[in-house]
Amino acid sequence: MTRARRAPRREGLAGWLFVSPTLVVLGLFLLIPVLMALWVSFSDWSGNGSPFSAGVNFIGTKNYQQLLSGGSLAETNFGVSIRNNAWYVVFVVPIQTAVSLFLAVLVNRSIRRGRGFFRTAFYFPSVTSSVAITVLWLFLFSTTGAVNKALSYLGLHGPNWFNDPDGIVHLFLGLFGLKTGPTALTQHTALGVSWWDWFAGPSVAMSAFILMAIFTTSGTFMLLFLAALQNLGGDVTEAAMMDGANGWQRFWRVTLPQLRPTLFTVLTLGLIGTWQIFDQIYTGTKGAPQNTTLTPSYLSYQSAFGNQQWGQGAAIAFILFVIIVVLTIVQRAVLREHKVSRRRLRAYDPALHGPTTAPQKEAVR
Amino acid sequence: MQRRTPFRLLALGAVVTATAVGLTACGSGFSSSTSGSSTGASAGALTHQNTALSVLIGSSGPAETKAVTDAVSSWSKSSGTKASVTPASDLDQQLAQGFASGKPADVFYVASGAVAGLAKNGSLLPYGNLLKNKSDFYPTLVKSFTVNDTFYCAPKDFSTLGLVINTDMWKQAGLTDSDIPTTWAELKTVAAKLTTSDHVGLAVSPQYERLGAFMQEAGGSVTNAAGTDATLDSSANAKGLSYVQDLLKSGDAKFSTDQGTGWGGESFGKGLAAMTVEGNWITGALQTDYPGIHYKVAELPAGPAGKSTMQFTNCWGIAKASPNQAAALKLVEQLTSTQQQLSFSKSFGVLPSVQSAATTWKQQNPALVPFLDSVKFAKGVPNQVGAADVITAFDAQLPSLATADPKTLLGTFQKNFQALLTSK
Amino acid sequence: MSTLVPPGDVDAVVLPGTTTDPSRHAPTPKRAGRGGRLIAGSVVLYLVLIIIAVIYIFPFLINVATAFKTEPDAAVDPLSLLPQNWTTAAFHTLFLNSDFPVWIKNSAIVAVFVTVGRVFFDSLAGYALARLDFRGRNVIFAGLVAVMAVPSVVLMIPKFLVLNQLGMYDSYPGMIVPLLVDAAGVFIMKNFFESIPKSVEEQASIDGAGTFRIFWSIVLPMARPALVTIIILSFQGSWNELSQFIISTQNPALTTLTKGVAGLASGSLSQGTQYPLKLAAAAIMTIPVAVMFFVFQKRIMNTSDGAVKE
Repeated sequence: MTRARRAPRREGLAGWLFVSPTLVVLGLFLLIPVLMALWVSFSDWSGNGSPFSAGVNFIGTKNYQQLLSGGSLAETNFGVSIRNNAWYVVFVVPIQTAVSLFLAVLVNRSIRRGRGFFRTAFYFPSVTSSVAITVLWLFLFSTTGAVNKALSYLGLHGPNWFNDPDGIVHLFLGLFGLKTGPTALTQHTALGVSWWDWFAGPSVAMSAFILMAIFTTSGTFMLLFLAALQNLGGDVTEAAMMDGANGWQRFWRVTLPQLRPTLFTVLTLGLIGTWQIFDQIYTGTKGAPQNTTLTPSYLSYQSAFGNQQWGQGAAIAFILFVIIVVLTIVQRAVLREHKVSRRRLRAYDPALHGPTTAPQKEAVR
Repeated sequence: MQRRTPFRLLALGAVVTATAVGLTACGSGFSSSTSGSSTGASAGALTHQNTALSVLIGSSGPAETKAVTDAVSSWSKSSGTKASVTPASDLDQQLAQGFASGKPADVFYVASGAVAGLAKNGSLLPYGNLLKNKSDFYPTLVKSFTVNDTFYCAPKDFSTLGLVINTDMWKQAGLTDSDIPTTWAELKTVAAKLTTSDHVGLAVSPQYERLGAFMQEAGGSVTNAAGTDATLDSSANAKGLSYVQDLLKSGDAKFSTDQGTGWGGESFGKGLAAMTVEGNWITGALQTDYPGIHYKVAELPAGPAGKSTMQFTNCWGIAKASPNQAAALKLVEQLTSTQQQLSFSKSFGVLPSVQSAATTWKQQNPALVPFLDSVKFAKGVPNQVGAADVITAFDAQLPSLATADPKTLLGTFQKNFQALLTSK
Repeated sequence: MSTLVPPGDVDAVVLPGTTTDPSRHAPTPKRAGRGGRLIAGSVVLYLVLIIIAVIYIFPFLINVATAFKTEPDAAVDPLSLLPQNWTTAAFHTLFLNSDFPVWIKNSAIVAVFVTVGRVFFDSLAGYALARLDFRGRNVIFAGLVAVMAVPSVVLMIPKFLVLNQLGMYDSYPGMIVPLLVDAAGVFIMKNFFESIPKSVEEQASIDGAGTFRIFWSIVLPMARPALVTIIILSFQGSWNELSQFIISTQNPALTTLTKGVAGLASGSLSQGTQYPLKLAAAAIMTIPVAVMFFVFQKRIMNTSDGAVKE
């Protein structure tokens, strides 16, 4: 990005003028609020009047301590919310990535006319608001709703979705008669939740939200994959074909490695998005049944606006922030590791250029 | 390129943020002050600027909104003070925003569970003792809005739990009015008789707000008389839960959740249960959603320690930050007057909170008399700060009651509640 | 945060820089000479595609159908797409006996202002970051990226305090101004401006046109594809926004569709389920974004076609 010509001096003024609306708005409604929330998370402000008034005290990390240790209910609720959201992430991120990649590959193979229709169909859920989709989901997954009706045609008795707090891992273990956990797991707790309950899996209610997330986001990510697939170098694929690799092998050895940058984007966006699930919970269950759809972001909101625990609410938000940042960095490090497939890919690449960067090439210029 | 940059910078952002933590913490000072100790307000000290009043309500529906709006505007006309009513879409949140912004509504609904929190942070005007009709309120309701011996706000209205009976199923089972249970033993007997392959004898929501009545009937309580220690792990409370557990085990009772319904009223309305333990709001729900159901209401049968029931109530809060507290107080007195209470009751089916309305109300609602009569032995839901969360946590355990040990369930409840009392 | 994905990502697709690339061509999936297997393969492919498409579309058909059903009908036969008894009762209630029209009005006002604001401010800032050389540019860029990493939920609590300090709480400006700029949009514009050749501007610059003039009458018209992207994203984002409106208003006269319908959805149990009403509301609130989607879908989608088109 080297600049060909030196800028005239007046560009400095214009530059600042041009970015100033952005800076002012983001400063006022992003930077200052973040700093204020930080202060609140270290204060005993209880929601009456300004958090900077004389009666508000600095109480150090007490709000954080209450959430992370001490055995209080605040800790348990926080633990439960992390558990719920973690399971949500564990299920949603891989599945939505796989589904969107699958859809992209299928759509990519169809003829152009069909391609337009299918893309539209798969992408449409992504444009609707989470509120509208949640309302629809509450109906589809109600006890007498469409999903259970459809299941009944298959001779299955559907669960009581949004009212069912049982964890699906527990339910699965229950099939083998394992209804109560071994004492090794039930006796020990982390964040006020026993190990056994950490392994409960997402509740049936949360599973309905998981399906909803996959339904609404797979279209968006499909477009990302589709764009990347279209930009893939056909030459590499052809070389692989000559080499006698079948479709499945080609996909794993050639296509997928080339999609790595997109894969990374999709996983990162998925991770960031799924840790913030709020709209659906606010609209749908408000944490019920039995707190199994409680998420950190809803708990943060609820603590502050519902229970006047503003410091704790802000502290939850910041812990969540840290979780997201750390996980993103970890994920980045993990995805960077695999160098093997790249080498293999190079063997196929007639032009001998770094194919992993192919989709980005144009942006790099 | 652009794809990659963000993540390097993200780390930078984290560092910047972390630095900011330090800065804010230092910059904001470590001022200390005693949190507002609140005894009751005195009449002379009320603010009385001539400003319009805003009233924020958490309405149950159009009927309630209209009734309150009409009442407020008629008061406004006669008093000459302007007033407007706003129905909240989320009352707790809007109250919280109002207090935090320093411009709360002047008069608003407060649930009994929220009073202590708002009292503690100094948002509520403790005006209870200034009410002219103070002695007219049922004492048990006054207790629900008393925090640290200060009566904060006037009970708006209330609800109690009763035993709701499907009269058609009752007749089918060959039962008569004289069989209406008055003791636990009788309840068990009729529940067994009423249970068929289609429906169970009794359905109830697995919530403390329902099962707590059985705990109280067994002589159990939440705290000791002084309110200093939790007593939830008492054998009396365990006895109450064990009784419910027996009913569940025998198959004569079921939790609404196990029937795939949202609450006892839905089980009852759908004909999945011959009896349920619910509050007077069930009458409205049955009327609109299940008009074909014939039913009758009885007081909850007495347990080993006598009769009891749960009671739920809201009050009319007045903001300490209101510039016109004097007018607000006048408005609340009007809204809790005998006539107004009767008219509210007619519009949206609540029980009047003043004793002077009882006689007329009973004449107007003969079928619902047991709900109002239950006020004699009703007990409110605990109103300590954070109690609502502790109860939610207990409710999370209750669905497992059929198989779990009541003592274990109560043990956690006890631990969490004790933590509330000691942290205060 | 409208869907699970922050509003900035759909556009990654539409980033001009990554879209078209004439030097490369689409993979050539079909090769002659494997006739029968290929046809069988295609049949399976289309069968799978059609089944999945039905799964994706059917819920919305149910949504619309149920809006015209009676409540018992909706409960008894949730799957059927043809109501037993057609009724527009839900729409009557929404439009004649509720605040629904007010919600629509508010959502429209917010969406229009936010869209116009973002188009202007995002492109201004994007242009400055892409083209103008000024001190602090890199710092601003870094700041923007850091800002995008902040989860929106962290902001809920203090945002309304700021709004209140500024006297904007419970007003249209309070709902609109915080949404007027989005960092993701700035990035899209920046990327776009970097992708177009500089020669035209340089010519204009030599001719003595001012920076703003160059931006306004030369660069901006060229940026139409990217601006359409911003319009789509801004409209969709602000129309579907929820948390911002939860914290910035309490006056029922300022309730938006998302906030109003969310309140409708969590209505208390004793009021009955009212699914036809709720689903009618959900269907109506989907119409504008759906229309936008179909009008601009070429633009949203053409990323992937770009490589094929000559």
